[in-house]
Amino acid sequence: MLNNSYFSTGLASLILSLFLLFVAIPYGVTAPSNVTNIVLSPVFWPEVLSVLLGITGIALMISGRSAVKDSVAELLPTKGCYKRIAFLAVLMAAYVAAIPVLGLVWTSMISFVALAVLIKTSHPRTALISAVVIPLVLYMFFAHVAGMAIPQGEFLRLP
Amino acid sequence: MTLLENLAAGFELVANFESVFALAGGVLIGVIAGAIPGLSATMAVALTLPFTFAMQPITGILLLLGVYKGGIFGGSIPAILIKTPGTPASSATILDGHPMVKNGQAGKALGMALWASCTADLISNLALILCAGWLAAFALKFGPPEFFTLILFSLTIIAGVSGDSLLKGIVSALFGLILATIGLDLVYGTNRFTLNDPNLMGGLNFIAVLIGLFAIPEILAMVWNPKSNEGETQSLGKEWVTFAEYKRCFKSIVRGSFIGVFLGSIPGIGAAPSAFLSYSEARRKSPNKENFGKGEIEGVAASESGNNGVAGATLIPLLALGIPGDVITAVIIGAFMVHNLQPGPMMFLNSPDIIYGLFMGLIISSVFLFLIGSVAIRAFRYVADIPRGILFPAVMVLCVYGCYAVNNNIFDVGVMFAMGWLGYVMLCKGIPAAPFLIAFILGPLLEDNFRQSMLMSGGSGEILVRGPITWFFWTLTIITIVAIIRSGLGKKKAEAVEHGNQE
Repeated sequence: MLNNSYFSTGLASLILSLFLLFVAIPYGVTAPSNVTNIVLSPVFWPEVLSVLLGITGIALMISGRSAVKDSVAELLPTKGCYKRIAFLAVLMAAYVAAIPVLGLVWTSMISFVALAVLIKTSHPRTALISAVVIPLVLYMFFAHVAGMAIPQGEFLRLP
Repeated sequence: MTLLENLAAGFELVANFESVFALAGGVLIGVIAGAIPGLSATMAVALTLPFTFAMQPITGILLLLGVYKGGIFGGSIPAILIKTPGTPASSATILDGHPMVKNGQAGKALGMALWASCTADLISNLALILCAGWLAAFALKFGPPEFFTLILFSLTIIAGVSGDSLLKGIVSALFGLILATIGLDLVYGTNRFTLNDPNLMGGLNFIAVLIGLFAIPEILAMVWNPKSNEGETQSLGKEWVTFAEYKRCFKSIVRGSFIGVFLGSIPGIGAAPSAFLSYSEARRKSPNKENFGKGEIEGVAASESGNNGVAGATLIPLLALGIPGDVITAVIIGAFMVHNLQPGPMMFLNSPDIIYGLFMGLIISSVFLFLIGSVAIRAFRYVADIPRGILFPAVMVLCVYGCYAVNNNIFDVGVMFAMGWLGYVMLCKGIPAAPFLIAFILGPLLEDNFRQSMLMSGGSGEILVRGPITWFFWTLTIITIVAIIRSGLGKKKAEAVEHGNQE
């Protein structure tokens, strides 16, 4: 019987290991030409880890073929779960992209409301109030108590 | 300086309004976060970490330690009242705690949980004070090869015991080690996986990785199933724990505390196994063993003392060796790093006031835990009723602010979200996150000590077995691997038998 979580994790590990060994390390790690001893080279450690990852991946795949049951508690799909997860991915990307334009406080307020709507909050009024108050309180703390520069955006600046 | 002088210096550092307030505030935050199903003590510590940047080192670290201790106790409140452990460490408390609630003894169960937690916490703190200095003095003899073997041993045990599968634990640790190689090379300063992006030259930000790994997956899980984490709160009842009951359970509490201290001082084991071991030992030795699982107060006392006994002891390897004892202390190490402090044997020489200040603070935290815990038990209903539709958006905003505040860098926020997705995939595949985070922290240290050893020996591997200390850690590593493989094979055999019986 094929144990899915073991087999898929093993396969992913093996693919990642091969990617690291044949693409990422040769093109992504710069080793000085005057390094005489391989163990001191900047590529040595990533290569060792990649090989170990590949070996563990193979062991997981073998283990997945022989295991009798998967110990992972399955996250059963609920109604609309894939849509919600996809929307959250878009929300996260938009959150990061909007900070320089709208500022951290306004972006956080909008994202708060969007996430509350996404998980269908049963307290919309409290969510709306929290969406305004929480980012403002955090702004006050980080900007005025901790003295950090919080991005203000291009439209509306806070004191 | 003598021990008393050090303790006096530490007390001077802690005996001020800021430190005491931070400690009390930390315990309160921890109890509240631990009491909310869906939040964990780890998440609470991770989210509090950015608020410590503007504080004095001792104040910030005390705040986090308060959150840690409060969080471990707080987890027992929903475990008892709504059969939903606030933290994994509280799972054993359900076994007798919830049946007591069904018998109308919720107040008694929670009271015993608090008393046992505070007693175990105190014993654990005393063990830390007695053992950490001694271990640190011994660790001064360590050179790079000894540290390399010690870290390797810690990683092995963490990878092996953090999840259901040793192999998945190893994969998780290897992911963490690989991710830790991003940035400039430690010896030559050349680029490693930086894509020539200046944001990556210093490596991935530790706080972005940890918040992403521990807080964001909870939000994703909530979005996947918004109806999860719902439970029905029970009333406290009229009965309260008596001193006679505490006295009757005292043996189990002390035993559980020592089990917690022993398991907590070994990196990676953590509070949950300690709670279960303490519970099973109490059941084995108790004259009321047939009552266990049906609402036996001694069962609550044993499991709570087991999990709280770990809290001080996990700081022994952290402070003495610079190795985090569990995932929460791995987060706390971040607070040390942010304040340019390197926990380990040298800290006992360079900053003894901070070390002993922490010891004093930990002792005081037991008192705060008792006082705040007593109030929290009665106020749980309000905490548990925080709507998830408000809690999780608030957590997301808190994550973004906290992550941004580390370096004032939006790139870190992107890293945090990316790590959140990785953490969620790991959660779905049953890959434990703890080895990942601990390997990510220890990775540079492991590589650094390895390469220093190689530089010392001119590239000869013999230096890694140069003396009794290195041999000791190699032996422990091998014994651990063999033990974990044997237990894994045993489990597989049992599963096969069970599977055969079902067919």
